Amino acid sequence: MLLDDLINPTQSDELLDEFAKREIRRAMLAAVAIPGYQVPFGSREMPVARGWGSGGLQITLAVVHDDDVVKVIDQGDDDGVNAVNLRRLVTTSTGADQTSVAAEASVIQSRHRIPEDGLDEESILVLQVPVPEPLRGVERDMRELARMHAEADYSRMWVSLYEDKVRNGVITQTTGYPCLVNERYVVATTPIPRWDIPRLHESPFLTLFGAGREKRIYAIPPRTKVEPLTFDDVPFEVEDADGASCAMCKSSDAFLVSLPNSDVWMCSDTDWCRRTREANA
Amino acid sequence: MTTEVEYGRYPVARLAVPEWMLKVERLGRVYGPFDDAVIASTGPEVGSSKSALNGAVVAAWDVSFEVAAGEALGLVGESGSGKTTVLRCLAGDVAPSRGEARLRTAAGDVSMFELDPSARRRLRIDTLAVVYQDPAEGLKLNISAGGNIAEPLTAAGWRNFGNIRNRASELLTRTEVPINRMDDLVRGFSGGMKQRVQIAKALANSPSVVLFDEPTTGLDASVAAGVLDLIRSLLEEHRIAAIVVSHDFAVIEMLTSRCLVMQHGRVVENALTDQLLEDPHHPYTQRLVAAARS
Amino acid sequence: MRREPVLDVRRLHKSFVLHAVSDRTVVAFADINFTLTAGEHVALAGMSGAGKSSLLKSIYRTYRPDSGEVWLQIHAGEYVDMCSLSDAEIAAIRGHEIGYVSQFLRSEPRRGALEIVTRSARQRGMTDHDAREAAAAALQRVGIEERLWDVYASVLSGGEKQRVNLAAGTVHPPRLLLLDEPLSALDPENRERALALIASLTHRGVAVVSIFHDLEAIQRLASRVLVLEKGRLVAERSPDELDSRLASAAR
Repeated sequence: MLLDDLINPTQSDELLDEFAKREIRRAMLAAVAIPGYQVPFGSREMPVARGWGSGGLQITLAVVHDDDVVKVIDQGDDDGVNAVNLRRLVTTSTGADQTSVAAEASVIQSRHRIPEDGLDEESILVLQVPVPEPLRGVERDMRELARMHAEADYSRMWVSLYEDKVRNGVITQTTGYPCLVNERYVVATTPIPRWDIPRLHESPFLTLFGAGREKRIYAIPPRTKVEPLTFDDVPFEVEDADGASCAMCKSSDAFLVSLPNSDVWMCSDTDWCRRTREANA
Repeated sequence: MTTEVEYGRYPVARLAVPEWMLKVERLGRVYGPFDDAVIASTGPEVGSSKSALNGAVVAAWDVSFEVAAGEALGLVGESGSGKTTVLRCLAGDVAPSRGEARLRTAAGDVSMFELDPSARRRLRIDTLAVVYQDPAEGLKLNISAGGNIAEPLTAAGWRNFGNIRNRASELLTRTEVPINRMDDLVRGFSGGMKQRVQIAKALANSPSVVLFDEPTTGLDASVAAGVLDLIRSLLEEHRIAAIVVSHDFAVIEMLTSRCLVMQHGRVVENALTDQLLEDPHHPYTQRLVAAARS
Repeated sequence: MRREPVLDVRRLHKSFVLHAVSDRTVVAFADINFTLTAGEHVALAGMSGAGKSSLLKSIYRTYRPDSGEVWLQIHAGEYVDMCSLSDAEIAAIRGHEIGYVSQFLRSEPRRGALEIVTRSARQRGMTDHDAREAAAAALQRVGIEERLWDVYASVLSGGEKQRVNLAAGTVHPPRLLLLDEPLSALDPENRERALALIASLTHRGVAVVSIFHDLEAIQRLASRVLVLEKGRLVAERSPDELDSRLASAAR
């Protein structure tokens, strides 16, 4: 192999062969058919470390065609090192185009965020999942976990929310909040913030979750009920930036993050921020 | 001499006896392969529950009884007699090798052993509760007292935090756990207090049957007396059908009205509790009572 | 017209097999026959070991008789044989139709006198409210002062315990009451109260079978005396005929 081949791989250097894609697609079909159910799949070695988006990458590679347009973000940022790497892997090995504008993308791969706007019936959101098991914190035994899901016995999860509220006065879980999908399975919502949780409910788009290390795929099909686990009398609340607005685009209705050790807030979704600024200008 | 006796027959009254809530028939549990010969090679006459033919252990065999609402039945015997095996089969912790256990529920009679594991577990949530000898078996020690009670409540569909808190504090008050300890981890509780929390948890969804497995064994005498007294009051208040497994006649005498005595996996005597204590028939029961009285 | 008996004991036998002593058989009593009508009080007399307590316990079925019949009236004209009832049936009968007051209060940790007597009334079918009122009245009748009602019965004196026990047994008296030395630990004043209480029960139609260890109680309360000797019923006397020798033998 020549150095040139490495720098400019051709389409024949696909990361997944057709057998692997077919296996992943089958798992995805099962996942869509049983919303929220974690389907095992034969997670392959990817040219990224496990835990760095290898599950999401395999899903993206299995759904993307050369006529797709791909957006990849890390946090809300299209230009994070990891996002750039993954995006280049996908586009070079599939021939798909890339974009930072969610509305232009047909496949969006992310770990921490759902883009603020632009997802519709044509979009597929691929989320990279570090820990797919929502009950991992309350039970370690695999057979017991399988039983709990099979019987929809989520009382231990409720107890952990109860304990959280008793200990801390509020429910402190911020990212990856457990949600009941289609009134049946509780899922881990990866580390997306609470801000994004309501946007999964009855969403127009398909969300596919991939956990490479844990070899699991699950899905929230379009127009599916997604309810965060909350007590009737303890309302689910999204993050509140305390009236702050983005230092760059002045938005106050997007998910804001604060710069370390400062009162400066900025949009988490960098492309949204850019477009807002352009519109304001 | 005899007094004047009329030898006619009396019109016989039909007595209204409370109907059973739990009915167990020919329950058996064998560890290892077995046939009639293996069963026959064990038991009180042989002096062992382990078969000399193939080493199979007949932990319990041919155990039958009924318990009615508001009644407590004792299972008495030394360790290894099979009483805890019977309780664990009914609790669903151990699969029986034979027999039937019928439970009366609002939705009709159910044959517990024929239910799938999931339906079986649901029974444990609101119909049949267990209080184990070891609190660690019935409680999560690294969770608060209130959280332990929240578990059966949320399993039964409770979704209101305030209601869960109220119910938990009501149960803890009833079981005499200081309410200011409701949010403390059970791990730090004394043995007697843990047992009270376990009882509160068992009662969370007002079960119709409660199984008690040596509920006061391992507690100091004065603490045990308090827990026993609590159990007795609760049984009177709630019209629960209770099964009390114990080797301790003081426990049996205080809680139960009828008893089965088990030895080497078999029921050797079946009587009213005062009969067992004052007029035991089987040699084994006589030995047990004599030992308890000395 | 002959009155229907409340209790009819027929050919009752009881022995114990002591497995620890080479399966030795000890006869408690044999071939006991007697009847009892409503409002009648039969006292059992005889030496210690004659089988008096065993007979009471066999009627109550704390002991399981070897053979014989114990017919108990439970409604007008309807009877059950205590010897052939199932355990569950016995348990049901005990709650309502037959009461047993022993010499000792059953050990009741952490329960006050009022609670013990109230529970007994409730078991006999009274409502919670009525049971409490009846219990208070019963404790007053046996002379337990109100300040002792909530004190744990386990810390009361022997005489107080005995009176609580008598109150529990008579709060809502059953058709048949079995009394096994219920006055043994009472001082003269309370003994007087207890005697009056038991007399009032028979006047109200309760049938009583009793064991007393003194002649005076028997003569004041009993309508008939059955004399037991070595497990046999050897004589029936009127209380007036009972001589002091037999009475002292009863001790």
